[in-house]
Amino acid sequence: MNRHLCIWLFRHPPLNAYPRCHIYLHSHQFKQLHLKTRLWLLGQNRNHILHCFLNNNWSRRCCHQDTRMIWKHKAFQKYMEDLSKEYQTLGRCLQDVPVNEADRKCMTRRHAELSPLAAIYQEIQDAEQAIKELESMCKSLNEQDEKQLQELALEERHNIYQKINTLYSELFQSLLPKEKYDKNDVILEVTSGRTTGGDICQQFTREIFDMYQNYSCYKHWKFELLNYTPADYGGLHHAAARISGENVYKHLKYEGGIHRVQRIPEVGLSSRMQRIHTGTMSVIVLPQPDEVDVKVDPRDLRIDTFRAKGAGGQHVNTTDSAVRLVHIPTGLVVECQQERSQLKNKEIALRVLRARLYQQIIERDKCQQQSARKLQVGTRAQSERIRTYNFTQDRVTDHRIAYEVRGIKEFLCGEKYLDQLIQRLLQSADEEAIVELLDENLKSAK
Amino acid sequence: MGPCGRVLWTLLSGPKGRRGDTQARAFSLWSTLHRLLNPTELVSHWTGVFEKRGIPEARESSEYIVAHVLGAKTFQSLQPVLWTQPLTPQQLQSVQELCSYRLQRMPVQYILGEWDFQGLSLKMTPPVFIPRPETEELVEWVLEEKAQGLHAMGAHGGPRILEVGCGSGAISLSLLTHLPESQVIAVDKEEAAISLTCENAQRLQLQDRIWIVHFDVTSERSWTHLLPGGPVDLVVSNPPYIFHQDMGQLAPEIRSYEDPVALDGGEEGMDIITKILTLAPQLLKNSGSIFLEVDPRHPELVSSWLQSRPDLYLSLVAVRKDFCGKPRFLHVQKSGP
Repeated sequence: MNRHLCIWLFRHPPLNAYPRCHIYLHSHQFKQLHLKTRLWLLGQNRNHILHCFLNNNWSRRCCHQDTRMIWKHKAFQKYMEDLSKEYQTLGRCLQDVPVNEADRKCMTRRHAELSPLAAIYQEIQDAEQAIKELESMCKSLNEQDEKQLQELALEERHNIYQKINTLYSELFQSLLPKEKYDKNDVILEVTSGRTTGGDICQQFTREIFDMYQNYSCYKHWKFELLNYTPADYGGLHHAAARISGENVYKHLKYEGGIHRVQRIPEVGLSSRMQRIHTGTMSVIVLPQPDEVDVKVDPRDLRIDTFRAKGAGGQHVNTTDSAVRLVHIPTGLVVECQQERSQLKNKEIALRVLRARLYQQIIERDKCQQQSARKLQVGTRAQSERIRTYNFTQDRVTDHRIAYEVRGIKEFLCGEKYLDQLIQRLLQSADEEAIVELLDENLKSAK
Repeated sequence: MGPCGRVLWTLLSGPKGRRGDTQARAFSLWSTLHRLLNPTELVSHWTGVFEKRGIPEARESSEYIVAHVLGAKTFQSLQPVLWTQPLTPQQLQSVQELCSYRLQRMPVQYILGEWDFQGLSLKMTPPVFIPRPETEELVEWVLEEKAQGLHAMGAHGGPRILEVGCGSGAISLSLLTHLPESQVIAVDKEEAAISLTCENAQRLQLQDRIWIVHFDVTSERSWTHLLPGGPVDLVVSNPPYIFHQDMGQLAPEIRSYEDPVALDGGEEGMDIITKILTLAPQLLKNSGSIFLEVDPRHPELVSSWLQSRPDLYLSLVAVRKDFCGKPRFLHVQKSGP
């Protein structure tokens, strides 16, 4: 993200000055404005958060992750002051000034939106005040006499700083736009690559699938196998699983894409030549929709079962319960033979189909939202190479955030190492979300 | 060869130094054995055997049997780790034994002793009729109608349902599971079916809401003693509906193992259907419904038969197709005194 961000800043040099003067203008005019306009301004103001954030974000990079410095950025301070002023004004308005019902609703909603932010900000200010007091006290202390007291004060100051840091990251989280599908369960599908070195791809596919199974266990999620097509030498052609639990999609959404492996094969046909092979496999992560999110018209479905012909009913006794669903408008095909009951297989297949259709809807949404976005984590199509597992160098590299980790075995265990990378991806995505909104806002301001 | 194989190989091959030809032969023998020991290879092996002997659904049969021995319902749902792990000698022997039944054309459901219907695992014993997948759709239909509440089944409490010819209890028990307020009276004329339904109800802890009665609808005995609680909201049945002349063409699995009484519907397959329709008006509440599974030729036959019996006050309100597109299910409604 950083590279992108810097370029972005370079492209928009007047940014640092821009939000500040704008906000200033708003706050000055605030009281005289007609209510309608005022509400419009409130909406506008929200975007200024992001302007400020960009500055902060950028400063963080320049200040080598010293979070305290970001928040001291003038634009941000100014913004937060305005925000809490707005909050207070709204509070007063709601109490004293009579307004009509619709306006009142708008104002109440905005008031509620701001309330947690204002509360955190207030806490931060209190803490900063405490630090100031501590510092002035330190100055007045006689160095020789009060050494013990001074140490205590320093320790106290350190604690308060830590608290401020946590408060600021809380603030950051509440300012970030919420992702719509984060809480959903997912359907995770893995497919081995078909190009060179088939068996190396298939083994790698199995390792990756196992990794996600272990990760689900590590995160206390429920992992249900939907489909499993093995290959020779303990490999895997294709598999799908439903993973449910807390914020599953949030954590797994950036795992979708092409994963590449580089290794000297241990088994299989390609193991005869002792040289490094490259293989790929793809991961697809589909958020699992609720029944209401995607409606499938039964007339759009072609359901293939074992008995396309024959008398049926009591005349035959077949045990093949496999079901194949074809969604005619999109051409999507889903198969299931997990259960002995054909009806249950149909239900599972429908669930998978709904998830895939849902994915298409989401992709369409995203395309509309982010026409201009270029290389970010979140928008990458699930067909791009995202990560390389280099066994000979014992190293995993994520290409989107230039992240490297040593210890491939530990990584494939799907525990701490994978979790750390996922956390980093989420962090980068958060940062990107801000850049994106900022970009949009700047465009609309022009 | 895993480490275990290597140990065995050392044992087999004796003291070092005497290698060569024997080793090669022993190795190939061992690897064949070893291959047979894992579930995937075992399934392929038995699929081949079944195909050679002309057993239908060769792959499905061997997959179900191997999965069953390994404690799973389907091969697909078997833990992938197990696919390549060798079976124990006892497991191998069980597979061998169950597959030998299949070679005698015993239906897989009887071999495993259980089968699934609408998500319920039910015990299956010969000669009680094995529920077919179409019947799952009959239950679905009843549940849909109930959900829509079109026929005001059981305004107070759940609906009271009568099933004629309950067999293993599949229809009754799945309705009870999906309609927690409902009560079912299940009748069958076969003792074996009655006791199997009883057992399945107990396994599923549904015995408190089902009343299972040994009763023959073709007998002239009075029905009224069946219904101490008065008329029911719903009659459901998958009656024997095969035309008598078709009985000879059934596959050996059906002909030699399943009770023909549960299949043979007489000359036009209508014997039991008309019995149910004749008695239904006395059993049903006003605007109560009958849901039947029938042969694709029956909708027309039933329709004209009902027209010839206006005294029954029954009308065929809907026909539904099964997943193969064949008209398979009938909804008949009572519309008078």
